[in-house]
Amino acid sequence: MTNKRFYAVLFSVLALCLIATAAHLIWAVYAYQHCSIIYFIGRELW
Amino acid sequence: MKRTFRQIGILLLIVIAFAAFNGGLYALLTCRLANNFSGANRAQMVDVGRYLPHEPTSELARIESSLKFTAEEELPVLDGAAALLPVYAAVVDAVYPEGSVTYEGGTFSDDNYYGENFAPDSKMQYRNTVRGYTAVVDGDADVLFCAAPSAAQRQYAAERGVELVYVPIGREAFVFFVNENNPVDSLTVSQIRDIYGGEITNWAQVGGANRLINPVTRLEGSGSQTMMEAFMGEREIARKSPLLLGGAAIGFSFRYYMDGMVENGAVKMLAVNGVYPDAQSIRSGAYPIVAEFYAVWRADNDNENIPRLIEWLLSPEGQQIIEGSGYVSIHP
Repeated sequence: MTNKRFYAVLFSVLALCLIATAAHLIWAVYAYQHCSIIYFIGRELW
Repeated sequence: MKRTFRQIGILLLIVIAFAAFNGGLYALLTCRLANNFSGANRAQMVDVGRYLPHEPTSELARIESSLKFTAEEELPVLDGAAALLPVYAAVVDAVYPEGSVTYEGGTFSDDNYYGENFAPDSKMQYRNTVRGYTAVVDGDADVLFCAAPSAAQRQYAAERGVELVYVPIGREAFVFFVNENNPVDSLTVSQIRDIYGGEITNWAQVGGANRLINPVTRLEGSGSQTMMEAFMGEREIARKSPLLLGGAAIGFSFRYYMDGMVENGAVKMLAVNGVYPDAQSIRSGAYPIVAEFYAVWRADNDNENIPRLIEWLLSPEGQQIIEGSGYVSIHP
């Protein structure tokens, strides 16, 4: 893979991962504000 | 060839790092989040169908009432908090004529968080605390069964020139709960205030595991959030760091909502100052955080059946409904 091609692939992969993570974080913040706290605490990992 | 392997290795490393971060976040937080109206959580919400008046299978306190309204009278529309649904449904069952309640069921959606609908002309409604206060002020409901109002709810009424009447009709414990596997069983009032005030941040500081504490709060204006703010007194509830979301949580609610209505075995109520919240400890005054709950109506509401209904609620018969619904009578 040429350097130019590698960087194109690298930035594409990074962009995809960042978009997916941002979407996950935004959804988590929204869902946290609207979730049932009884359910939230009941499913805690111990 | 070697360079290609290195390049593929770098790409794989990036993908694995992001996957690990998101997987960890999912395990720690996201998988525990369920909206009030989601299918996953529906079982944890109040099932209105269990508390419908005049249904033989309903789980209501039933008494032979000396007060009976007829269909020809002007029947007050009753509304209330989720936790008090068994109380005002039992009142309708005891006092109102059959046919005064029309339940249409419903599905959970963005417009209907509770997934429960009553017909517009039904004398029983279920809007919960936040929307219920608005309904009473706006004249859409006559009597609201709920906890004390928040400052914003008082202001909403004041801005519209509406005076509300609050009559205490029963008592209930304000409780704190944690995951059933949390080794802590009891906290003091002072420790709880320090936790929500941000001074105590780790369960190890109160005899528990070495884990951060995530002090969970409720919807602004809900009965339990208003009660929590009153419990904190002059102290502010501290702003929470996002890092605490992964900590072991503590939450609050009213006892019967936790114990009798939602019944989630994965959480446990905490003793406060060494006293476990139950009907006996509320009645005796041993449990330290007890709140009154109210019947609320507009002072200018001229429906003559409202004072009759309130007088009856405070009578031994009405208080029998309060006790039979799992709460504690206003009379010692």
